[in-house]
Amino acid sequence: MSQTRTIMIECLRYDPEQDQAPHYRTYEVPFTDEMSVLEGLQYIKDHLDGSLTFRWSCRMAICGSCGCMVNHQPILSCQSFLRDYYPARIRVEPLEHFPIVKDLVIDQSDFLGKLESVTPYLVPAQPLTPEDGPNLQTPRQIEDYLGYAQCINCLLCYAACPQYGLNNEFTGPAALALLARYNADSRDAGQKTRMEVVNAEEGVWGCTLVGLCSEVCPKHVDPARAINRNKINSTQDYFLRFLAPFGRGS
Amino acid sequence: MTPAPKTYVRPMNRWWMRHPAYRRYLLREGTSVMVAAYALFLLAGMVCLVLGEAAFNLWRGFLQSPVSVIFHLAALAAFAFHAWTWFKVMPLTTPPIRFRGRSVPDRMIFRAALWAWGIASLILLVLAMRFL
Repeated sequence: MSQTRTIMIECLRYDPEQDQAPHYRTYEVPFTDEMSVLEGLQYIKDHLDGSLTFRWSCRMAICGSCGCMVNHQPILSCQSFLRDYYPARIRVEPLEHFPIVKDLVIDQSDFLGKLESVTPYLVPAQPLTPEDGPNLQTPRQIEDYLGYAQCINCLLCYAACPQYGLNNEFTGPAALALLARYNADSRDAGQKTRMEVVNAEEGVWGCTLVGLCSEVCPKHVDPARAINRNKINSTQDYFLRFLAPFGRGS
Repeated sequence: MTPAPKTYVRPMNRWWMRHPAYRRYLLREGTSVMVAAYALFLLAGMVCLVLGEAAFNLWRGFLQSPVSVIFHLAALAAFAFHAWTWFKVMPLTTPPIRFRGRSVPDRMIFRAALWAWGIASLILLVLAMRFL
């Protein structure tokens, strides 16, 4: 049994029915070595202040619900441990760049709309039925997209991206990484539909390669790479339109 | 229909203070201002050349001044830093490169770029010392 210590957790609080702007409240939280930041928040909710609101589900970095800012760093609170911050106090805030609904809960609808815009599913060249049998791939073909397919939509990358914060028209890291994931899939023939999103000013060209999105990704998706590789595709698409005006685009 | 909940959007003022990665990014982009400034300086030399011998000699004379030496040293530092960071992000911008069926690791691309940079600079230096 590990020793119990006490850490100060400073939490952003915002109640839309009472507050004009967010404020901070500090809690003294006893913790043991194995306790995550999420468990610290749960302790506050269970023992100190039942009104603290935050999202969580799986507690093992799979569901992507418990993302928040700890000391200005976007993290999954289930994957970060209080012992690593002690003896300093920690400041917990909702994910940056998203509207706050209440306390640590943010409104994800903007992202969900963007996710939908990238056609995040396989578009087969011809309609397939179960009678067509399995759509086989070689290990090499899987390797082409597997990294990008690890995204859990936790939105840490959006909270890390100042370009999204400054202009939320930008499609953003996770949606563009998922776009790259489907484009790279040998079973997919939907590249042309997605090209409009890629080419747009708010598409890959909205990225200036700050690069923090890839650093904070808990699943090592590397959205910065996905986006910047698509800049090459977008450039090719632009010039090929002049070379073959009747073949591509329009 | 239920009305949309009242949400709070935090301002972005002083956003670069929030993370060291943002400051590194601004420094990287900021050095490109020096790159542009040096391009303008060279352009000024070209304009002087077109204007005639007297103007060109004036520009060459300025090259020897302490202000010019400081400007050149600052430009060299900015160029070196800019090139270094450019090579660092290069693997993210290149299409997937495979060698004997395996992806070439990022550090190999970075090192290859550094070598190419070093060799190109050396050739330029040798040519400059020989012909100037």
